[in-house]
Amino acid sequence: MSRLDGRVIIVTGGGQGIGRAFALGFAKEGAKVAIADINGPAAESVAAEIGEAGGEALAVVTDVSSEESTKEMAAAVIERWGRIDGLMNNAAFFQRPQITNGPIEEIPVDEWDRVMAVNLKGPFLCCRAVIGQMKEQKYGKIVNISSGTVFSGRSILHYVASKGGVTAFTRVLAKQSGDWNITVNSIAPGLTASDPDKDEAIYEGRVAARSIPRVEEPEDLVGAGIFLMSSESDFMTGQTMVVDGGAVMH
Amino acid sequence: MGRLDDRVIIVTGGAAGIGRAYIEGFVAEGAKVVVADINGEGASVAAAEVEAGGGEALAVTVDVSDPGQTEAMVKATIDRFGRIDGLVNNAAIAIRVKHVNAPVEELPIEEWDRVIAVNLRGPFLCCRAVLPHMKNRGYGKIINIASGTFFKGTPFISNYVASKGGVIGLTRTLAREAGKSGITVNCIAPGLTASETEEMPASHYETRVPDRAIKRVEVPEDLVGAAIFFMSKDSDFMTGQSIIIDGGVAIN
Repeated sequence: MSRLDGRVIIVTGGGQGIGRAFALGFAKEGAKVAIADINGPAAESVAAEIGEAGGEALAVVTDVSSEESTKEMAAAVIERWGRIDGLMNNAAFFQRPQITNGPIEEIPVDEWDRVMAVNLKGPFLCCRAVIGQMKEQKYGKIVNISSGTVFSGRSILHYVASKGGVTAFTRVLAKQSGDWNITVNSIAPGLTASDPDKDEAIYEGRVAARSIPRVEEPEDLVGAGIFLMSSESDFMTGQTMVVDGGAVMH
Repeated sequence: MGRLDDRVIIVTGGAAGIGRAYIEGFVAEGAKVVVADINGEGASVAAAEVEAGGGEALAVTVDVSDPGQTEAMVKATIDRFGRIDGLVNNAAIAIRVKHVNAPVEELPIEEWDRVIAVNLRGPFLCCRAVLPHMKNRGYGKIINIASGTFFKGTPFISNYVASKGGVIGLTRTLAREAGKSGITVNCIAPGLTASETEEMPASHYETRVPDRAIKRVEVPEDLVGAAIFFMSKDSDFMTGQSIIIDGGVAIN
């Protein structure tokens, strides 16, 4: 008997990096996992990986910034499994080569809009798409991925602003959803070595600020994800758990 | 196979109430437990019940505000089990129990001292006693119990709220000091929880329900999952943090 037996969980951005680690971790605990990713082949590959290990998974091509696409995502999951127990809003826009790390006057306005569209409007749309089903079930677990940078203020302006929005969004939605036994919480990771193509020095640069001085790996976050998706966290809602080796303290 | 197999965990205030629920949760996940309580008889009963159920438990009588006794608690644990993996600093003078409710200017100074001695100095002394051993082993899990009242600034119990705020401060500093030794230190902040140690009428707990996102009375079992998480390897990269479990009243 596992902690997520029979639960149907959607992981956005589940095709790679941290999202893939969550998807594999949930499947290992008995969940049926929908891998919702804008990158279809990546989603298929993670779904196949879960299937080969004896689990159940569904790949859904999803652009979280599109209302229509998030509705299709929810519909596909309900069609396949008849329910939605969990949603992890993990998909986010944070690719250093593509995102401007500079002073405010150098951040292109359309780039601000794009970051907000994926990182903040994305969770809004995904929650909006699944909450009706969860209310009908009188149960649900929503986990949003925020960021330790919200508390340190040390990173890319528009990225951090979007993640601060995610934390605030978590709090309000939690207060509004308790009557249906829907919990809404956030995990705030530190900079995590989720991209094998990235220069390792970038990850090493964060180590000195941590209580536990090492590089953060996607697997470091999975335990918190399982806890927030399981019945063990049913009386915890509106909260943000920082999992960053003790760099910021919240 | 449990998530805490063979881990040796001390729970202060473990004889009854929330502490007792932690004990039962840890044992169910395979831990060996030390029921440390100022009520020695209660600790013995709790430990005997664990052993009757096939678990391993040691009862230790301890006043957490006394350094000689916290050191003796650690020695007794090592003598019996040879190691200490976890410490839950749960013992506290609880809100509104044997407790004076008064505005700051009327709060007796000895009441301030008494609550701080148990609720803040107690965790300090218990951490102080287990840390050399945990550092030697290069691993350890410490949970401090704070309170939702710290985030709300609940009036007329300034000593209690300040003690719990101090616990969060202790958590953060100790996390930074001990992280390189593989020790995590985190805090659970419960809301008002219906536990038999409070000896309050049920209606007392109902008063908190309307403020909650999840509208029901909080029970000790609501806290057990988080405690298992913080005692298990699942939380090995999380330290210095505080999580509120109160049905969504206070926010952190």
